[in-house]
Amino acid sequence: MSEPRVQPDPAFALLSLYETALPEVYGYLLSRCGSRAVAEELTSETFLGAVSACRKAGAPPVSTGWLIGVARHKLVDHWRQREREERGLRLVHEDEAVDPWDEEIDALQAREVLATLGPHHRAALTLRYLDGLRVPDVADVLGRTVHATEALLVRAKAAFRNAYREKGVRDD
Amino acid sequence: MTDPLDALREPVRPIDPDPRFADELRDRLRRAVLNGGDMTTTETTATQGKISALTPYIVVSDARRALDFYVEAFGATRRGEPIIMADGRVGHAELAIGDAVLMLADEFPELDIVVADRGGAQIRIELSDLDAAVRRAVDRGAELLRPVEDRGYGRGGTIKDPFGQRWLVAEKSPEPPTPQGHAMYFTFQVPDDEAAKAFYGNVLGWQYTPGSVEGAWGIEGNGLQGGLWGGPGRQVGWKLMFAVDNLEAALDRVRSQGGRAGEVEQHPYGRTADCADNQGIEFWLWES
Repeated sequence: MSEPRVQPDPAFALLSLYETALPEVYGYLLSRCGSRAVAEELTSETFLGAVSACRKAGAPPVSTGWLIGVARHKLVDHWRQREREERGLRLVHEDEAVDPWDEEIDALQAREVLATLGPHHRAALTLRYLDGLRVPDVADVLGRTVHATEALLVRAKAAFRNAYREKGVRDD
Repeated sequence: MTDPLDALREPVRPIDPDPRFADELRDRLRRAVLNGGDMTTTETTATQGKISALTPYIVVSDARRALDFYVEAFGATRRGEPIIMADGRVGHAELAIGDAVLMLADEFPELDIVVADRGGAQIRIELSDLDAAVRRAVDRGAELLRPVEDRGYGRGGTIKDPFGQRWLVAEKSPEPPTPQGHAMYFTFQVPDDEAAKAFYGNVLGWQYTPGSVEGAWGIEGNGLQGGLWGGPGRQVGWKLMFAVDNLEAALDRVRSQGGRAGEVEQHPYGRTADCADNQGIEFWLWES
């Protein structure tokens, strides 16, 4: 006899949620990493990783929103990996300029500019602006302190602004 | 302060992936789930918030901070991602608290959705760690309107959280025991577990997780607490476990009515005895 009062396996909820959650998770990842191959790989990691994650004690109920949260962590891991690979190839040069910037930006162009930034800048800006997370939540996902995250966001915004302006000059 | 980069906000838009990829991943996921893994065994089934007949929908002055507050003070869990409006306000968010759901949103004065200056509805919340929860709430800025005390109908108090909502905090009422005579566990005994798994899987869509002994499987999808147990030498069919208030007294009644009363066994989940009625049909008795 299997033990009475065994908690129902929450992983079954993943199977029944799969059809509705798949386009959401894939859509979230594709719009942020821009590559079909990477989005597919991270989507697989999200669902397969969720099997053991949802069985852990204290795990929240399986939902699409929770899966998006898992996907967000997979995306950050991916960028962290890219950052390690690229660090050796890139000169360390980061602008510290913080003067206020209030021009209206074109979302379409901004998306293209974002794709040209280094992975760590791209990660910070994606979490903060595309996902709309608060700075402490960005810090949490990135595994950094709030202070370090604020500094990273300032540098990321400066890098974004320079790239955006350069692109504006080229396109005109 | 407005931030030009706020224009980058990208809500999740569903996109269908390549169907071949979707099929492959479904297969891999199914295999990963059905391989079992570390199952958590607990005395009671974990409660999950679900929408019931009545669900409070509150307006708060800062929904993001309020969500954190309810998670930290009340042990709430987030249900999905909040819906963020174009101007950054939280248009809708959900939390699970115990077996209930709380919905909340930021203020939208243009729609007359505002926090009441005074008065307003109160919500009663049961907490298993009442005193600690009230302390956590006050530490996080809640106002203690009425301290916790027993006024003759259980311990409770009143707090107002920093976002304008009043809460009647109360000690969680104990779980009612399973009434005597209720079946609380269902075991389906079959000569061949693999054959039964395939048959009911194909006919009814049941799914299975490995149980604690050879040939035993948890059943998912039959709406019952219980499992499938395959192997020769056992009575075939459903064998139920019934709750009783006093196991020894119940075993005496089994014997006096011409049934067979088995030995009392100790389990982490209570005491049981394997019995049969006066026509030979087997069942278990269980005292918590």
